[in-house]
Amino acid sequence: MPPQLRLNAVAFVSPQNHPILIRTFVQGQDELKYHYIAHTSLDVIDERITAAIASKSTECYLNLLYTMEDVAVYGYMTPLKVKIIIALALTDAVVRDADVLTIFRALHTAYRQSVANPFLRLNAPIDGYNDHAILLAAGSPKWKAFRKRVDDIGKAVGAVAVSV
Amino acid sequence: MSTVPSLAAVADPPPRYVDGAAMDYFVIEMVNALRASSAVATARTKKVEQEMIDAGLMPAPAPPPPALKKEQMRESMGSNLSLSSLSKTGREGDEEELRARLEAIGMHVGANMAERLCHDRGLFTDTLDAIKFICKDLWNACWDKQVDNLRTNHRGVYVLQDNAFKPLTRISDPHVIRS
Repeated sequence: MPPQLRLNAVAFVSPQNHPILIRTFVQGQDELKYHYIAHTSLDVIDERITAAIASKSTECYLNLLYTMEDVAVYGYMTPLKVKIIIALALTDAVVRDADVLTIFRALHTAYRQSVANPFLRLNAPIDGYNDHAILLAAGSPKWKAFRKRVDDIGKAVGAVAVSV
Repeated sequence: MSTVPSLAAVADPPPRYVDGAAMDYFVIEMVNALRASSAVATARTKKVEQEMIDAGLMPAPAPPPPALKKEQMRESMGSNLSLSSLSKTGREGDEEELRARLEAIGMHVGANMAERLCHDRGLFTDTLDAIKFICKDLWNACWDKQVDNLRTNHRGVYVLQDNAFKPLTRISDPHVIRS
């Protein structure tokens, strides 16, 4: 039975470094741990971005950021400066870049589709487009579609086998 | 059979299409529908205001002096403060609300289209790169052509020039003599 990628947690961070949504898929573990992981990843992402700008690269995918006790943390920054951070359970198997990139693209699509919802700004003033609060609202418990999309991705990842 | 979609399907969903003619009809009807909707919203807020005035919680607003009306009209062209629109007299107030709604819809749809188009490309290197993205990808997606001329003074001002702007091409000019 080929070993499988396991997605432990997903975090979305806004351009102003506020958390939009943090979702964990592992029972029996402290969710706060993944909040800390997301927070420390922000510094690493900043370093990588300045390095990327210096080397004139336009790659969204930031690859492996760092590894902790039992998780490997990968990062991705969208052209609109929204950061996506995922924590994969460390396995001995080789994790293909292409697989992780597909996961990130799926998460980016889920984010984009959820933020496009015009009802998010029902109670906001008409004029404030760049209203930061709207982004944050997308992840709040009231708006379930985003969470459900992210959960679906988590399940889909579990179904993807990793080649040894 | 599992109901979980495959990861590849979720990562790059096939684009969903809308009938072009249907969208044109909707856009044509949009202005009237929004005008009615903003009239209802203004009527509702005026009613609440009137109730508060009657209950003595708000002082009655002073009628705007006629000399200032022209200035107010010119001001409403530039700014979009919906708060001040209620104090303006009837017609300008309604137009103001309508304009605010149309602009909000435009911002929302434009921003979402831009996000969708950003999906496949990498990060923007600098502001010029972002402006070029608007001139090529966004303009192409909306109006099937690219911006004809882009100029900049390298100090933050960019001029996008389109010689045949699609939404305006079909508007007739009353001064053109048809032979």
